[in-house]
Amino acid sequence: MRAYECIYILNPSLDEQAVKEKAVKYGEIVTARQGQVTSVDQWGKRRLAYPINKVFEGYYTFMRFTGDVEILKELGRVFRFDEAVVRHLICVEERPKPVEAAKSPAEGK
Amino acid sequence: MNDKRNDRKNDKKKKKEKRLLPTKPCRFCMDDLPIDYKDQSFLSRFITERGKMTPRRITGTCAWHQRFLARAIKRARAIALLPYVREYFR
Repeated sequence: MRAYECIYILNPSLDEQAVKEKAVKYGEIVTARQGQVTSVDQWGKRRLAYPINKVFEGYYTFMRFTGDVEILKELGRVFRFDEAVVRHLICVEERPKPVEAAKSPAEGK
Repeated sequence: MNDKRNDRKNDKKKKKEKRLLPTKPCRFCMDDLPIDYKDQSFLSRFITERGKMTPRRITGTCAWHQRFLARAIKRARAIALLPYVREYFR
């Protein structure tokens, strides 16, 4: 078991409801394979730094989970075949408690 | 002749050495700052207006932290938080 985090960008043509449904759907992929979803964070609609496939905006969703490599394979596969996903990134969580470490200086500003 | 040339080269070298600025402390070492690829506004301080990574000699970051910084910037670029190239920056 290992802690991972993933970010995916959904197509801006979707509505908020669909974005939430997607988050649940991807969470189920993790839980169905003995994984645990630690947190799901909706960043909302954001402008991309550069256009991807002529898309200029996207719904960012940040998800943290623990589990095995199988989950990563399946998640990556699903992301790739889902046309609503513009971009995704899955990586190992580097700090044991990144939320507290990352948020406190940003909130102080 | 050769000796003179060598002397000139040495002079140039000396001049270069003199130009070195006093070393800045690495701010990540000093304050134990977290390097997070999700922190867009923070990482944007370490890229040029064109979108390139700023070299260590300018920011004063130590080699250890520059590696983490580079990885964070590359990840941020991959998920379109930071640009690979900022073309119209004026």
